[in-house]
Amino acid sequence: MSGELLLERRYRRALRLLPGYYRERWEDDMVAAFLDSWLTGDPDTDECVLEFCKPALQEVASVVLLAARLYLGGAGAPRRYFAWGQAVRFTVLALLMVHAVRGLDGLRLVFLAKGLRAVGIVPAPPAAMAPMPGIVWPAGVWYLAGYVWIVIFVALILGHYRAAKVLALMVAVLDLVWLAQGQFTGALLSPYGSWAFWILHDLVPVLAMAAFHRDAPLVARWPWLLALPASYLLVAVPAPAATATGHQSWVPDLPGLSCILVAFLCLAHAPKALSGRAGTDVWSMTLVLLAIVTMAYRIVSLCDYLQGHYLQDPHLITVGLAELLILIAATALIIPDAACAQTAMPVPSAQPQPG
Amino acid sequence: MTGQAFFVLTALADGPRHGYGIVGEVAELSQGRVKLKIGSLYGVLDRLAGAGLIELDREEAHDGRLRRYYRLTRDGRGALSQEAELRAATARVVRTRLAQPGPQAAG
Repeated sequence: MSGELLLERRYRRALRLLPGYYRERWEDDMVAAFLDSWLTGDPDTDECVLEFCKPALQEVASVVLLAARLYLGGAGAPRRYFAWGQAVRFTVLALLMVHAVRGLDGLRLVFLAKGLRAVGIVPAPPAAMAPMPGIVWPAGVWYLAGYVWIVIFVALILGHYRAAKVLALMVAVLDLVWLAQGQFTGALLSPYGSWAFWILHDLVPVLAMAAFHRDAPLVARWPWLLALPASYLLVAVPAPAATATGHQSWVPDLPGLSCILVAFLCLAHAPKALSGRAGTDVWSMTLVLLAIVTMAYRIVSLCDYLQGHYLQDPHLITVGLAELLILIAATALIIPDAACAQTAMPVPSAQPQPG
Repeated sequence: MTGQAFFVLTALADGPRHGYGIVGEVAELSQGRVKLKIGSLYGVLDRLAGAGLIELDREEAHDGRLRRYYRLTRDGRGALSQEAELRAATARVVRTRLAQPGPQAAG
């Protein structure tokens, strides 16, 4: 094999990360530009370069970022990649809404709890959101992080993508520090569930925010903004009501509640998805992605019950498995519609021609 | 228009260039401040071609590979001219304000 083929092959391997339609249009040109960046014009040096050099990490990173932007397409992207982009953007917003609802609950506790403490951002104990014992940082920081998720959620809806990404990264790191502190001090009541929550609701959305790039269209503003208080009422009202009427055991844990809500959304969407109407596939994909995240959260959090970390009640494992089965059955109804977006033919875009 | 797109269009203003030629020209125009990665460059080129601001000029064989040269379209020249005017006007405003006596900077 010639030396030239080696470096060229390495670049072509890296470019396989890009979607096929894009490679077809730009791959040869990109490889030529990559090789031009190495070649010196001296035949001996160039022979060594072509045989032994490897693509620079920064160049590969730029290809990875380009691939993320193309697969999670925005305006002008082929239909299939635009659908993926929209589904990931909606999923990120839905996951951030979980944080935002928790933040709103923190605010409720601040305003309603008797005897506001500190500077008014920390609920009076005992609170449902009490921070872990053994922590180093002031509790206010933990609550403040909860409120910042509301700002991040609203910023994404309003199109302030960069600010939302920076804030989300900061708060995710903050949450990680709190979690690590709890882990090392043994203060975590449910370690599996807590780590799963951080990975699935902090890390995954922060990474998936790559879908909010400059070509990403703004989401429908009012439906998403109104979804936040609606979700809050849906979650926050039944729990205190059940507690007040002595039915606290009916209130599911967070993974269970997530399973029930996503299953309910899948069932509500199923008639549209099954009708074969056009334009339902993006929401079907969104709900399937949400269901995958929720199932993972439910399965991992069950380990806490299995290992007796939290509430040693075998009944809870049965309930958890039932929630999982309900979610799987509801998701199965919309999977065929979600798959339609995968088979949709990419829209060919104009190849620049010599003019 | 993003800074990268502005520099890429400017690099093509005086004639067609191939991919790596654009990278070099952008580095020179920006006095080394903008160092385009190839992945970023082709993201910008794809967007500009999609918007009809650049087009393929010709293909040339070089060391056994085809080099594609790109050039500005009429729309591209207009968009670049408009953006340059906008940036020049902004710079004029900034210079005027800086020339006015204002509060002394701390330290």
